[in-house]
Amino acid sequence: MQDLLVIIVIVVALGFDYVNGFHDAANSIATVVSTRVLSPRTAVLWAAFFNFAAFLVFGDKVATTIANDVVMQDALSIGVIFAGLAGAIAWDLITFWFGLPTSSSHALVGGIAGAAVAKAGFGVLISEGLRKIGVFIILSPLIGLAMGLVLTLGIYWVFHRNRNIERLHRGFRHGQLASAAAFSLGHGANDAQKTMGIILALLIASGHAAPDASTPLWVVLAAHTAIALGTLTGGWRIVKTMGSKITRLQPVGGVAAESGAAITLFATSAAGIPVSTTHTITGAIVGVGAARRLSAVRWGVAGRVVWAWILTIPGAFAFSWLAFLVIDLLS
Amino acid sequence: MDRRAAFFLGAAVVSFLLVPVSDGYDWVPITVGVVYLVLALGSWLDARGHRRV
Repeated sequence: MQDLLVIIVIVVALGFDYVNGFHDAANSIATVVSTRVLSPRTAVLWAAFFNFAAFLVFGDKVATTIANDVVMQDALSIGVIFAGLAGAIAWDLITFWFGLPTSSSHALVGGIAGAAVAKAGFGVLISEGLRKIGVFIILSPLIGLAMGLVLTLGIYWVFHRNRNIERLHRGFRHGQLASAAAFSLGHGANDAQKTMGIILALLIASGHAAPDASTPLWVVLAAHTAIALGTLTGGWRIVKTMGSKITRLQPVGGVAAESGAAITLFATSAAGIPVSTTHTITGAIVGVGAARRLSAVRWGVAGRVVWAWILTIPGAFAFSWLAFLVIDLLS
Repeated sequence: MDRRAAFFLGAAVVSFLLVPVSDGYDWVPITVGVVYLVLALGSWLDARGHRRV
């Protein structure tokens, strides 16, 4: 019976990862498609491939952080992890329904914390790990913004002798292939690892892995496959939001935004810090717009990031707390 | 005041406010804060230059 429950929770975790790919990965192909460097179908394949390939480049530090640094391991159980996932998914769906800003990554952290607190009280939270995640929730969009802005200014400075701006943009169209690939790699690395962390925590809690175990290869491959499949099936629907809603992106801006976000994701993934990939690319796109002038940025969309900071973790925490109480009552 | 400079200044303040809770990696918010201070100064000088022109 316990093994069946473990399999069900793994399927739910991979489903969460799939939806993440479906929802988020289009961020990385928005500019390649809107500037017609690639067709939507090829762009989605491009992003999905690099989502999957991320496992070859990055280790499992983010996964270890999720599994070991959010709540104490002895507070983790199959029920806690299922309730954490259920709360995070419910929060994502409800905020999607009402059009409220959210972040799947933050919801996952809030969800696991909420379910663990419902089981064993606030003492099980690891303040050092949560503090680090909290600090980078705020810092990652700010770093992305600064990177996007500095790279935009740097590109224009390097090519300032080029008076023909249209020719400059034409030259950068194909550069977007590299920057989109880099961002997809960063997205796969940071977001797939969050699911890897949840599954690793589940395996430890159910006795299928030692407390100090590293992530098994099948978990790594399953998580990266799920996010890549999500990208493959859902990519195009959300492309327009990131490509035009925040600020209108040209090829130079696209390269700067994707590269800035990719550098931020590479650094945080290497340091084992889970961050929101959507917030990071949003910050970088705002940075590209701000390099021209502040009025080039549609601040309503950027402001949603701030609301997501405030709402997501407490919201997912509360939902998962309730979910655990229901599971506890039923069992 | 230049609105962009004010925004960057705000981002610098937010970054510096995170320093006390960033044990062991406080160099990250410090670096980000310094970058935003430089961007605020650059933006202010840029806006002042444009006004003079």
